[in-house]
Amino acid sequence: MGEESGGEALSGILMFYEGKRSELIPILQETQGIFGYLPAEPIGVIAEFLKISKGEVYSVASFYNQFRLIPLGRNMVTLCRGTACHIVGAPQILEEISKAINLKEGETSEDLEYTLETVACIGCCALAPCVKINHKIYGHLTPAKTKELFHARN
Amino acid sequence: MDKVTLTIDDKTVVADQGATILQAALQNNIYIPHLCHHPELKPSGVCRLCMVEVAGEVVLSCRTPVAEGTTVKTRTPEIDQARRMNIEVAVANHHLVCKGCPGNTKCALQKLMAYIRLDRKRVRRLRTPGEELPIDTSNPCFNFDPNKCVLCGICVQTCADIQHGLNIVGRGPKTKVAFHGDSARCEPCGLLCVVRCPVGALYPKEKAAIQESA
Repeated sequence: MGEESGGEALSGILMFYEGKRSELIPILQETQGIFGYLPAEPIGVIAEFLKISKGEVYSVASFYNQFRLIPLGRNMVTLCRGTACHIVGAPQILEEISKAINLKEGETSEDLEYTLETVACIGCCALAPCVKINHKIYGHLTPAKTKELFHARN
Repeated sequence: MDKVTLTIDDKTVVADQGATILQAALQNNIYIPHLCHHPELKPSGVCRLCMVEVAGEVVLSCRTPVAEGTTVKTRTPEIDQARRMNIEVAVANHHLVCKGCPGNTKCALQKLMAYIRLDRKRVRRLRTPGEELPIDTSNPCFNFDPNKCVLCGICVQTCADIQHGLNIVGRGPKTKVAFHGDSARCEPCGLLCVVRCPVGALYPKEKAAIQESA
């Protein structure tokens, strides 16, 4: 998305707001809707619009999980660390994935290929331990199968 | 200005109308434990240490105005227990060695520990596991040691009146004080944040040099 179209889209959002502090979170949600995350420039524009400091916007954005301050990778790797998955070895699967794509939990790779995150439960407990890559769920994982899975992708 | 008379811990105290119980107590040499209070800032009430009992109710003395004829108790078994827990958790996740710390002998935590006679060994078990964070030396005027920060918010409130540089970011155990973009850039001012920090988390760069040679 080009700089100009992003700036225009942002103005398009702000048009519907009055500039009150309470509008910060909905504005951030819509902004993330355009850019996929919250880049520094829009944060500056929003801060000016609401007459608060960039730091305050950053303070709110960093509190909520939903707001991402770095862009997401093309492939979203979501490991389940719910109770069922945990008991059958999710931590070991996490280690294996970390090794395979060289990322720690919460990180995005530099080439924006992968983002690794863990969540509390994806509801596939009968398939535990499982990982979700984009929209596909891979269950009954073992460290060996995990290694194979990522090897096949690269 | 109208005056109000009240009793704090069996001592009769006269205070200005509109003053808080904490202000009245401190002005009369009665120590009520506090961490996030600063006489020049509006009370935020985040540390929860200044609890007192008034008319059977436990309230924060920093946010309760004085009322004529009330009896205030700064210690009750209920308050003591709650306050002890708060102090223990604050100390447990704090840097453990006072010697060599820029805040040594002026630190609010030291005063709190003396007030409740803390058992350091017992408290060590409450420490959240994890590595020590690196000291932030990116600002030209001061250093920030996140391991000593008690998240009182005094620096954030202070800076809000100057340039709004400092903010609380994150959530839960990862909460920390940071500049926007996480590096200590700010317009040099009077270093009021450093002056007001109740512990040794913010300290001027020259002090760092003195500490190193000690």
